[in-house]
This record gives sequence, structure tokens and C-alpha cells, in this order.
Amino acid sequence: MFKYALQRIFYMFCVFMIITLMCFILIRMLPLPVLPPEDPHTKVVEMRREALGYNEPYLVQFWLFLKNIVTDWNWGLSEKLYFGQDVWKIFIGKLPATMIVNLYSILWTIPVGIGLGVLAALKKNTWIDYFISTATMVVISVPSFVYAFLIQYLLCYKLQWFPFLMKGGTDYFSWAMFKSIVPPILSLSFGVIAGFTRTTRAELTEVLTSEFMLLARTKGLTKAQATVRHALRNCFVVIVPGIFGEFIGILGGSLIIEGIFAIPGVGGLTLNAINGLDYNIFMLSTCFYTAIGLAAGLVVDISYGFIDPRIRMGSKK
Amino acid sequence: MRKMKKYLALFLALMMLVSVLAACGKEETPETPDTPNTPDTPSTPDTPDTPDTPDTPDTPDTPEGPEIQEFDPSLTYTYNTSVSQLPTGWNPHTYQTADDAVYFDYTTDSLYTLVFNDEIHPLEGREAFDGYVIIPSMAADFPVDVTESVKAAHPEFNIPDSATSGYAWSVKLRDDLKWDDGTPITAQDFVDSLERVLRPELLNYRAADYDHGTYSVVNAEKYSNAGNPVFTSFADMGTTYEDYIANGGTDAEVAVDMNGFWAVPGPDGQHDWGYITDDTMVRDPAVEDENGEEAYVSAKYLWDNYLGPNGGYAGSGYDLAYAGVISYPYEAGYSFDNVGLFVSGDNELTFVYNNALDGFYLMTYGMSTQYLVRTDLYDSCLQQTETAKGNVWSSTYGTSMDTSVSYGPYKVTEYQTDKVMHFSKNENWHGWTDDAFTYVDPEDGLRYRMYETTDVDIQYVKEANTRKQMFLAGQLMTYGLQSEDYDQYRNSEYYYATPAETVFFLLFNGYEDVINQREAAADFDATTTDLQVQMLESFRRACAVSIDRERMAAEVSPARQGGYAFVGNTYIYDPETCAYYRDTDQAKMALVDFYSIDLADYNNDLDAAVAAITGYDPVTAKEKFAEAYQEALDLGYVTDADNDGVSDQTVTMIYAMNGEMTDFYRKTLEFLNTSLNAAAEGTGFAGKISIEASAPLGNAWSDNIRNGLMDTQLAGWSGSTLDPFGMADTWTDAGQAYWGQWFDASEYDMTINLDGADVTMNVRDWALCLNGSMKTDSNGVEHNYGYGQTTVDNRLTILAEIEKFMLTAYNCVPILQDGSGSLLSQQVYYIVEEYNPMMGRGGIQYMKYNYDDAAWADYVASQGGTLQY
Repeated sequence: MFKYALQRIFYMFCVFMIITLMCFILIRMLPLPVLPPEDPHTKVVEMRREALGYNEPYLVQFWLFLKNIVTDWNWGLSEKLYFGQDVWKIFIGKLPATMIVNLYSILWTIPVGIGLGVLAALKKNTWIDYFISTATMVVISVPSFVYAFLIQYLLCYKLQWFPFLMKGGTDYFSWAMFKSIVPPILSLSFGVIAGFTRTTRAELTEVLTSEFMLLARTKGLTKAQATVRHALRNCFVVIVPGIFGEFIGILGGSLIIEGIFAIPGVGGLTLNAINGLDYNIFMLSTCFYTAIGLAAGLVVDISYGFIDPRIRMGSKK
Repeated sequence: MRKMKKYLALFLALMMLVSVLAACGKEETPETPDTPNTPDTPSTPDTPDTPDTPDTPDTPDTPEGPEIQEFDPSLTYTYNTSVSQLPTGWNPHTYQTADDAVYFDYTTDSLYTLVFNDEIHPLEGREAFDGYVIIPSMAADFPVDVTESVKAAHPEFNIPDSATSGYAWSVKLRDDLKWDDGTPITAQDFVDSLERVLRPELLNYRAADYDHGTYSVVNAEKYSNAGNPVFTSFADMGTTYEDYIANGGTDAEVAVDMNGFWAVPGPDGQHDWGYITDDTMVRDPAVEDENGEEAYVSAKYLWDNYLGPNGGYAGSGYDLAYAGVISYPYEAGYSFDNVGLFVSGDNELTFVYNNALDGFYLMTYGMSTQYLVRTDLYDSCLQQTETAKGNVWSSTYGTSMDTSVSYGPYKVTEYQTDKVMHFSKNENWHGWTDDAFTYVDPEDGLRYRMYETTDVDIQYVKEANTRKQMFLAGQLMTYGLQSEDYDQYRNSEYYYATPAETVFFLLFNGYEDVINQREAAADFDATTTDLQVQMLESFRRACAVSIDRERMAAEVSPARQGGYAFVGNTYIYDPETCAYYRDTDQAKMALVDFYSIDLADYNNDLDAAVAAITGYDPVTAKEKFAEAYQEALDLGYVTDADNDGVSDQTVTMIYAMNGEMTDFYRKTLEFLNTSLNAAAEGTGFAGKISIEASAPLGNAWSDNIRNGLMDTQLAGWSGSTLDPFGMADTWTDAGQAYWGQWFDASEYDMTINLDGADVTMNVRDWALCLNGSMKTDSNGVEHNYGYGQTTVDNRLTILAEIEKFMLTAYNCVPILQDGSGSLLSQQVYYIVEEYNPMMGRGGIQYMKYNYDDAAWADYVASQGGTLQY
């Protein structure tokens, strides 16, 4: 297992470097905005571009980019969106708002989603199952921003239960802050709940009809005991990667939801960096999410072995 | 382990329960009140292109008037507003967007400021609040002309020997100027700040605002450009390439203005030009195919093939305009001591300008000191970054509360990136106790201090829907209406229409060579499609009268109104008196003549005649379409093979889209197609006119129009509110006008009667002449009709004649006058209903409150939390 993990980490590093280089070159290949020749500011912008080395060979620029990160953990300064500011500080400063909303969201969506899935599976082919399954399909078909607008309209505007926007400040665990982020949490949750419900129901339905479940019942276990101890554990081989995915998703913001509820998070940062050709912000967010994604893949793969002892990593047999 | 799981499950369940209960708790007033849209703060006017020299106003009297009504200091009045992009940096030396400039509206001051005219600040001959006056703000008094003394004492400023006034002005500063922490602001701070914005190695974006142009101080350009090369065209040098070489010049000094001539950057990426010996290839983005012809060009290539003695443009004039010599006129290490701003006495500044200035323009543009920074803080924020090219300077000044400092009415007291910006009163601002910052309310006749607002809260709100709901819930002060809102709110007593500068024209493509090339393309089906008909004047005239502009505005873009002229409704020709161009007889007559209105039908009432103009005449449209059809048949543009009297080809115009298809574009295309085809019914073009959307082109849409690759757009220029005359230059300049490639204004002569004598010049020369250039008329007499060179009446006459000429040229037809509409919260009111392009409706300076914050919260609650507008 250890050797396997090391091997994967090495491959991961290679993939990371290739993606980083590709992104570094691709973003620089996008044409810079054409500057109006009659605008007196054009001269300064062109001189600054030259001073920043934008006209140097890509590999020369890439080498300096890597060198600054490795030797000084310096990801550079923003040249467009947050002019003159350290992009690492900007990114890290915006991450908590995204994380807190996503964290609250998954804290209740996972148990609710799995619970509803279990209920639907246990009540298969009853009105409860039909209701849950139909609702799941409806909910999963509607994009989350639609819920966001509906929730904002109903709960914030009509019922006035919550503020329209996330509260300002960094008191993320205050009551006022929690109240202000309930609408985005709800908006993010419906789709996730539906996803877990559907997966859990499908897996559990299949497992519940297995022969070992019959054996479990015949040896004297109650239905609840058999379901929790045997059926659910088998289902988790499929569900756990989804849970991991959700936790990793904590770090990635939703462009639309964050926009609607004014969450000062990282959602949209990458897209804005591409649109604004803010190279350093784009590279930092790209590297960050690439690294997270690759690490998550590794963790999920390794987790299979813990959930299901029948799965062995790195085995050549 | 199992117990652990049970406890975990129980914990999660409890968390969920707590969350739900929390969410359903008792309603509370949001801690941070959230807000609306664009505040009605008057914006800083654009710099006009033309130098102007109005008279200096009289020294102001000490404001006198009724007793001042002081506001209750225990009450808070928060101006809640919203933006779709919060400032991310507000360093006055580097900011680049209007979003960032929002910060300056609240936290900065100026030497002189504009206020409405009233009993306290009278303006002769004008009703109260019908205009504005300039009053000293950071300055203690009006500027004093010291040209003679500075000329004698400071030869380094090179004030012309003949100059006796206007070049040097001294300003005494107030003694009580302070930063928001109470530290005094001195005259030296202004000088040090200008030095920093111009410092060459900092490459500050805003340096260009102060180092060139009409209002620049002497030698600022030399300091900020120290050591930089300069391209001077042969035309500007008054020589030719051959003469230059014959006089000892070498090819090594000769360069091509690649940006000007070919719209590509120079080979070093830093300059617009390249030496004619340099064969470094540069990508031309206008050629889509990377392997296409001339997808890459070099300075040498352009010289050899076009601009050089053997090039295709030799002797065309382009060779003189776009080829020239590189020189190094800016001395490296030039001293700032030679720059025309210095401390001349006890808290006194002296400005020395490159041009003579006076009056309004001197005190607004010439003495703009937005570069003022707290220099110790500024220096601590500078940082150097290593780049592939060496090092480059950046600054964190103005990026957070710690790196910000105010010297205006408010100071920032809360800032969270992309979230919120909150301002509170800057108690150290002089205006809170200065009686000059008072006014007499036109409603109750009482005298109040300006700035009743105690706090300003700016929230980031991205979605218009959210803004609307927040506004209706009393959390925002204004709401900018969306298209779908107008039916409901247009007649609200809280609705305000705000005109904007731009007139949007429907453009026509007249670039015959390119149109023919497009028709000759392999994938073009000439049997069903035509591009050439749009070049016919009869067709354009038919289009012009086919469109009901007011209906179009109502259906497509309700915030706007019909546009009928080249110059919009908001242009002021005399900033001293706030006089509008469109209100002049000359401007009115230009429209009456163009739209063939018979004044006799309106009892010679010019206003009534202008008011009657609709620009919509379906009968004439039909006649013109019929005429165009016959003309098109004769010229072979279209055919009628089946003799059904209808063109076989559909006249097609490609609408250059600058973005994705939006509701506005969809409605625009629908309306135009419906209108044109309805008017063409019964003619050979019945059902055969089609305006089609292109793929999104981004900013390249305008180049595509200019190059004839696309045919039409609703486009316009905004110009400068205070300089309608400068617009004439834009319309007639081939480099700026959309039609520059196929319409040459210098080919058309125009005779204008001025002071009883007929003067004939070509239209381009008239425009240049109007903007200060000396031009020769058909009789060999030189004229200059720039500001101060002739009477205002003559200038208005010339502008009106040029406008009329451009209308009749039918390169485009005016369709919409830009504008916007908004609702104002019941919490506040404007003391001025009429919009003034310079003052708005007074903005936050004059905003009055019906309720303080606490009373407003109670009122909103009493209305059930949702207000009716």
C-alpha cells in the first residue's frame, strides 16, 4: 500500500507539472486586450507589460514563476483584478467564506440524503418510495441557481426570515452570520440531497435483495440490524467517494450561488482571472484546484481498501 | 466503535435540528443594511479635447443668508447603495476602472468644487438650482494669475515671452486641511504627490492624466518620460524620407508607426513603432487565419511594401503620417524641480501650465489634484517584483483600510474585498463647519448644511432581481430599472429619468471594395443575398424614415428615447453658464432643415417645430425603397428573374455583435427587421431586408465595422459633456469615425455665412478649424474658429452646419438617445428634480432625508416590510 501511494504521488506530481505548464502557456497565448492608440494611458500599459516580461519566451517566464514559488512561496501580484496585491493573500482571504457555506451545506445534506435513500429503499414500491424518487428526479433536474432565486424571493423577500445577502465580516461562527448563510446553504443542498438519495436508494435496494441479507435475517438479526451492519456498509463503497467529493468541493465555490448571495468567496475567481487575463490569480487557482483534485483522487482510491477489505491497492494479482 | 458511530449520528442530527431552528428564528433587522444601485453623485467630467479659456469668476463673497439649520447629531442617516463590482483598489495613481473610482466620490476633495446656484451662491441671470457655481474647497480663495512674476523668476518653465497671463497661477490653501487622522495636509504634500504619480520607474497608469494634454503642467511629460524614445512622423517634422536622408539622416533612425498604420504593436511590445531595419514579425489579430496572408508583419515589411519609396503608399501622404524618426528628447534623470508645480509661499501652491488657462477649465481640470496621496504611507506600500525582464514596481496603497487615507467628507470604516465598503463621516474634513457648504432649500426656504448623510454603505449585489427586492424592502436607496420594470414603475412619483450623452446611430456599410470582396467569396450565394444595396443613399434614406424611434425606445430599451441628432441632449457648450447646445437656435434649425420641417406650419415657433420631429414617415419610406429598388436593378445589385416585381436577393446587413445574444439585441433586430420590411411592403424589397446577428466579436466589433467586414450596429460616441465641438472632429476624422475608410469629409466643400461673409472650406477643415486649428478657405484666407478665436455664435453655427452635413451624408442615422431610469427610496428626496449633466440631482451632497435610519426601519416594518412604489 505504501509503495503504491508513493508511486501515485510521483505520478500525481508529474501530472500536476504538466497541467501547470499547459495552463501557464495557454493563458499567455490568449491575446491581450487591444489598446486604443489614441489613449494616452496606452503607452504606460505597454511599458508595464514589457517590464512584466510578457514579451519574453514562455519558458523563461515559467522558470521564474516556479522559482519564485519554490524559493519564496511567492505566487506573484495581481495585475488586473486586485492590482498590486499578493494573489496568495487574496485567495486565502476568500477561501473561508466559500468553505463555511459548503461545510454547513454538507453537514446536513449527507445524512439527510442518505437517510432519505435508506427510507426509500426500505419502503420500496410504496407511496413513500414513489414520492421520494419522484421528488429526487425533479430536484436533481433543476439547477441550483433556480432554487437560489426562489429561496431568496420566498424566504428573504416575502417571508423576511433571512437577510438577502451573506453578512459582511469574518465572524463565520456567529449567529448572525449563520442566519445570513441559511439561504445559500439551502440553495446548495437540494441537488446534493437528491444525488445522495438516488445513489443510496439504488445501491441499498440491490444489496437488500442479496442472499447474505437473507442469511443475516435468518441468523436472527432484526431488519434494522441487518440493514445497518451489512447492507449499508456494502453501499458505502459507492457512497463514500461521493462524500469525499463533497468535502473536497468545500474548497471550490459556486460562481452563481456566491454571486446571488454576495458570498465573498473564491467562486468565479478563476473565470474572472481568465476574462481579465490576470495571469497570477489564474495560475494560483489552477494549481490549487489541480493539486486538490489529484490528491482527492488518491485519497478516494486508497479509501476503497478501508471500506471494503476485498479491495487491495497496488496488487499485481 | 459502534457507540462512537451512534454518538456521531446523534450529533449530526442535533446539528441539523439546531440549524433548522436557527433558520426559523424570530425575524431580526439585518445588522448590515444592504443597498441599491448607482448613486446619483455627480461624476467627474471628462477632459474635453479643446483648450478653453473662459474668464475667471469674481472672488466669492462670504456666504450670507438665513440661519443655518443644524442636523441632529444623534441621528444617523445612512446612504445604502449597491454595486455589481466593488472597488478592489483605489490608489489614485494606478486605478483603471470606474468601479474603483467610486471610492474617490466620498473620500477626496478638490481645490475647487461645483455647487448649485442659490441664494448663498448666486449665479447672475439664473433661477436658483438652474445652474452651478464654482467655490473654493481645499483652496482658501480663487487662483491668482502670477504669469509675469513666474516668467521672470523661473526661466526653466519656458513661459512664452509674449505671454502675460494664464500660464501660471498661485493658490492659497486653507489652513485647516487635514487627513482623516488629523495630520495637517500641506502644500508640499501636493508637490510630493505629483512627483510620485509621475515618477518614471513606477509606471503609474494615471501619470498620463497629468503629463500631457491641454491641462498638463510644464515639464511633467519630460519628467515622467525621462529617457524614453519618441516617434515623430515625417509629416510632423515637415519633411520627407528622401529629404531626411539627404540631410544626413540614416535608415537606422527611421521607423514605422505600426500601431497607427497597421493596428499592430511594435516588435518590442513596448512601443507602437518599429525601426524599418527590424524584420521581427508581429501577429496581426485582424487576420483570423494564422497562416493567412499578412497574418504576421514586421516594420521592415510594412516599409518595403507600403510606406517606403518603393512601397504601394509612396507619395500617398500615409508615408509621411506613419513613417518618421525616433529621437530621445527626454533627458534621462530629468529633475522634478523643473516640473511646473511648486510651493510658492506659506501654504501656497503655484501651477505653471503648458497652455494658458482660465476660469472654469482652470479650476476644474487644470487644478485637479486627485493625485494627492499620504506620501509616507504611499512609500511604505511600494514593492518591487522580479520579472523575466527585471523588476517592476507595484503598490498596495489604497487596497485596504490600513493602506487608505481620506481627506474628503467621509472615510472608509469597513472594507471586505468583493463584499462591502462602509464610509463614515470624516470629522476632520473642513466642510462640516464651513458655511460655504450650505444651501437654501427651494422647498422650505431654510438654510441647511450639505451632506446630511452620516454614513455610506456600499454592498456588492450582483443580481438585478436581488437589488429590486432589497429596494422594495427598504434596504437600498435607489434601484436602476430593468427593461421589464418600466411598465410598472414609469409613472411612479419616485421614478427619475436620467439622460446620458450618447446618441446611438444605425450604421451603414459603404466600403465598396470590401463589400464586393465579400460578395465574391466562394461561400456567398449572390442569387439569394445582396450586400451592395445598403450603399445606396436612397435605401439609407428609406431606412431612416422607416423607424419609429420613440416606439423602438419604448419596446426595445425603455430607459432611452428617440434620437434625432448627432449631438445629444446633454451637451453643454458654455460651462460657465450651463448652456446646452441643443437649446440653441442653430442646433434647432439644423434639425428643422434636415427633417424638412416647414416652420410656417408651426407659426415660426422653432421649439414647436423641433418638438414635432419624429423622423418616422412610412409614406416617404415606401417611395425611397421603390427608388432604391429601381436603382439597385439598374446597377445590377439585385435581379428580378421571375419578373414578380420583387428582388430575387435579400438585402442583408450583418449586425456586428459585441457580445452574446441578449434580450436587447434580440428585440433590436426584431424591431428593425419588422420596421424596415413593413415600410418596404409593396416595393421591390418587400420581405427582402434582413439584419442578421454576427457571432460575438468582443471589442473587435468596431474594427470589423470600420473595415467593412460587418455592416451595421447601434453605436455612438459619448464625447465630453462640456465639449460638443470636439464631436465634429470625431465625425470627420477618418481615424476615428466608423465610416473613415469610405467617407472622406475633406472631399466635401461647405459654405457657411459667418458675420455676413460666406466662407468655404472642406468639412474636415471646418471641424479642425472649429477645434483650434488654423485652416485656409477657398479664397486663401486663414481661419481659426477655436475657443476664444471667434464668437460663440459663430462656433455654434459651424457646429450646427457640420452636424447637418453629417446627417445628410447618411453614413448612419440617429436612432436612440441614451438614458436610464431609476426609483428613489421614500427615505430620501432630491431637492432638485431637473437633471443637470454636471451636478446630477445634487447627489449625496444635497440629498435630504425623510427618515433617519431608526425611523426608516420602523416605517418599513409598519408597511409590512415591503414598500409600494
